[in-house]
Amino acid sequence: MSDHLVQTTHVETAASASPERRLPPALRWAGLVLALIVVLALPMMIYPPVAMDILAWGLLAISVDLLLGYTGLLSFGHAAFWGASAYATGLIAIKTGLPFPVAVLGGALVAMLLAVPTGWLAVRRTGIYFAMVTLAFGQMLFFLANWARDLTGGENGLQGIPKTFFGSVVETDPFFFYYAALPLLLLGAWIAWRTVHSPFGRVLMAIRDNPARARALGYNVEKYKIMVFVISAGLAGLAGGVFSVSHGFASLQELIWTTSGKAVLITVLGGIGTLWGGPIGAAIVVMLEDKLASSGFEGIGIITGLIFVICVLAFRKGIWGTAADLIARTRTRQEHKRDIS
Amino acid sequence: MRTKSTVALASAMSASLLLAACGGGGPSAGGGKISDDKIVLAVLNDQSGVYKDVSGPNSVEAVKMAVEDFKAKHGDKAVTTNIEVVTADHQNKPDIANTKAQELYDRQKADIILDVPTSSAALAVANQAKTKKKMYINIGAGTTALTNDNCNKYTFHWAYDAYMLAHGTGKTVTENGGKKWNVVYPDYAFGQDMTKAFSAQVEAAGGSIGQKIPTPFPNDNFATFITKANSDQPDVIGTMHAGGDLINFVKQYNQAGLTGKTKLAVGLMFITDIHSLGADAFQGTQFTDAWYWNMDEQNKAWADKFMAKTKTRPSFAHAANYSAAMNYLETVQEAGTDTADEVVKKLEGKKINDFFLRNGEVRAKDHRVIHDVYLAEVKKKADVAEEWDYEKIVATIPAAEAFKQVDKSTCNMGS
Amino acid sequence: MGSFIQYTLQGLAAGGFYALAALGLAVIFGVMGVVNFSHGAMYMLGAVASAVLLKELGVGFWGAIVLVPILLFLFGVLIERTLVRWLLALDPLYNFLLTFGLTLIIVDLVKKKYGVSGLPYELPAGLDGRLAIGGVSLSKYQLFAAVFSVLMCLLVWLLLTKTRIGMIVRAATEDSERSRALGINVGMWVTPVFGFGIALAGLAGVLASPFRAITADMGTNFIIILFAVVVIGGLGSILGAVMAGFLVGLVEAYGQAYAPAFAQVLIFVLMAAVILIRPSGLFGREEVS
Repeated sequence: MSDHLVQTTHVETAASASPERRLPPALRWAGLVLALIVVLALPMMIYPPVAMDILAWGLLAISVDLLLGYTGLLSFGHAAFWGASAYATGLIAIKTGLPFPVAVLGGALVAMLLAVPTGWLAVRRTGIYFAMVTLAFGQMLFFLANWARDLTGGENGLQGIPKTFFGSVVETDPFFFYYAALPLLLLGAWIAWRTVHSPFGRVLMAIRDNPARARALGYNVEKYKIMVFVISAGLAGLAGGVFSVSHGFASLQELIWTTSGKAVLITVLGGIGTLWGGPIGAAIVVMLEDKLASSGFEGIGIITGLIFVICVLAFRKGIWGTAADLIARTRTRQEHKRDIS
Repeated sequence: MRTKSTVALASAMSASLLLAACGGGGPSAGGGKISDDKIVLAVLNDQSGVYKDVSGPNSVEAVKMAVEDFKAKHGDKAVTTNIEVVTADHQNKPDIANTKAQELYDRQKADIILDVPTSSAALAVANQAKTKKKMYINIGAGTTALTNDNCNKYTFHWAYDAYMLAHGTGKTVTENGGKKWNVVYPDYAFGQDMTKAFSAQVEAAGGSIGQKIPTPFPNDNFATFITKANSDQPDVIGTMHAGGDLINFVKQYNQAGLTGKTKLAVGLMFITDIHSLGADAFQGTQFTDAWYWNMDEQNKAWADKFMAKTKTRPSFAHAANYSAAMNYLETVQEAGTDTADEVVKKLEGKKINDFFLRNGEVRAKDHRVIHDVYLAEVKKKADVAEEWDYEKIVATIPAAEAFKQVDKSTCNMGS
Repeated sequence: MGSFIQYTLQGLAAGGFYALAALGLAVIFGVMGVVNFSHGAMYMLGAVASAVLLKELGVGFWGAIVLVPILLFLFGVLIERTLVRWLLALDPLYNFLLTFGLTLIIVDLVKKKYGVSGLPYELPAGLDGRLAIGGVSLSKYQLFAAVFSVLMCLLVWLLLTKTRIGMIVRAATEDSERSRALGINVGMWVTPVFGFGIALAGLAGVLASPFRAITADMGTNFIIILFAVVVIGGLGSILGAVMAGFLVGLVEAYGQAYAPAFAQVLIFVLMAAVILIRPSGLFGREEVS
């Protein structure tokens, strides 16, 4: 067997099962509070619809990272779950008139249901195969959605998704909508955090680092992979649902494979295996695209592609991974000093 | 790389902070005559994707030409000389179009958004225009939903739509002797609607459609479908494909040896498609065009001015962007204000005759702008006198017939 | 029956492109462990290059079919030397991501330079008519494309099995570990093999140019089908890539003939079935996991 066909994935992930890499509790709480403040202040600093996009893409990246950084599976088809939930959320909101958080949760559920068969098939392959298989399934869903126009509106998209929320100002002002939708996205981030910091998460990392050993220890590797795939799809679904309600429509753009590519780009830029990296990468990519779109520069792909290439060549740990590394290194140095003195 | 992004992030954040300080959204009140003492025209279109050539950056140039011409015409009497043109690239992504439309209206104080190709993006922007109560004239998109189910008070559809294309080609080609049709169409909303509209027109004109053959979308292998479509020797093969798929189709149609034997009628074709493949690949093909630069002296004169600016000949979308911008400015001039409600009131029912809109009228009920359109045939290579001289106008379809009849529109503006 | 033969031929012609391009993908993967995401972009560059050669230098189809693969070989060597090389020691996912980024750049650069409406191309003289064989009328060019790609695949097969270079490359493809142990310098072959794989994608592009739209986006959908092809065939297998290429071409053609709306979905269904029954692909060997 050629060495590259051996199934262990060795991505430079910041997620490690070893406890010494974790920050001390005080620092972690400080970081969490700071992050919350930034998230709460975001729509005051930048245009609210853009802020909403950043968080939605951020959660999508977190869902990709949950697979890539913590389980060693690169999904190039997460647009399928993001998009499926975008349409499902829209349909629920339009047909039932229920408040939008209910619709979004329904959408996420649909994404999870869809993830069961695709995950079941996809986890039969790992590494690069997994990426290609998920990519192909994503594209298949795109074709089906385009064909099922009575449900999806075809290329016109599913228009007129209401932001129903007890008749309040949330329905008309994106600034307030941001705060109404925020709990859903925070819920997603919390689920991701709980997943990786649980015994379940430890098993995932063990599978990532050495699947043969995990199997020898009696873990059903495939079952764990399917479970995390479904959780990840649910998070992508939460993000996609919020995204479509925020924009008021769902379109085929949500399902096309370049959307999956963008999610991976954000994840890698932010830092694989960091969870935090997702929102940071999203902030950069979304704002960059927003600025470029008004700059008169033709060929946004040149810039995003270049960022990607440079990132993969020189900054494989991404922004947050590099930052976390620095912090960890300073700490060890300090501890080292303390030990000497 | 990392420092670069951080700098970009920081500057983006501080720029946004500054903008935020200038006040949030909400429609501006029509207290003053001209809001913010200036008129802002925004062109929101595709400047990097498939619609780049047919509209794109050169439509921005066309709108700028309209502003210059407006200022030159009215001089000191202009309602304001402070007129700005801003632009954004939606890359055919409806979510970006949606966010950009809000930003253009709220932040850049756009009084009107123009163009917006790609139907999902076009409909998203229509919804923003309705919410923000600001003007929107669509040119680039073909969906009839803009003037039917998704119509609203602030949205106008200026140049063409799928109905007009199907009607013009289906009816006129059948009347000219093409009785027996087979139609090949991409199996998604646009293709299905076009085929439905085509069938109605062909049958109304006394023709019949034998086979309706759906194809995947996108697709680049049409050989099988062409074989099928030609199997019962029709007079005309109609194709509803557009863009890259259309080029694929025509290349493979020519290879199937059908050129000159079976007539080819195309649902949606732009002059840039002919330019890219060359006239000989398309020769004899018939399609409906909203406007053609070399049709008469008036069009030619404008096309010459356009060429001086852009070094290329205009598509109908370029001309339509100019016409829409110019007529918007003229209406503001008449109304004496750029308040959207006032301008809409003046524009509704207005009869317009300019180089683009011949016998034009802005229909009050559904905001469909009707005008004469043309059945064009692609010239033989030998008859092409200069670059871009590709079309021969076979028939003029009068404004009153060219578009969906107003009483058939499902538009309900509700006010 | 006549139309069935016609559909088969069309399927083989389309399959020829997939087979040629997938062959390039398989050889690169075999020797280097890199899944080249930019393979679709290289196919597009092959077609764009032949159109530009025709317009700017008057070099026709026959010239392009020789020149373009050479140009793309050089381009491949450049990419390998400057970019891909640095990530070879790492997880293959990195080169997958790198070539994805590269695709975005190449596609948008081509759009910037050559616009989006497509470039014109003419059928080569002598191949522009139709051939009538026993009541079936076939496009000469399609017949040529089908036969040519079969021949090219055979030629590559002979190159790999009957020559010394080929044997080394094949040994590396099928078992690079053992080849190394046997003292074969696999590293020496990495650069030319990458170039060779890219050249095959470019050749598929040249073959496509007379009857497909030459646009910057032509590789976008192509690469996804190509991934399905190699998953079906088994990535490590050269024979698998070729056979799956023709198989997918045929499935597409029959699908278009008998269930048009689902022609492309059918390919993915086939892929799902293969994963279900033989996860390592029709011609791939079982994985150890």
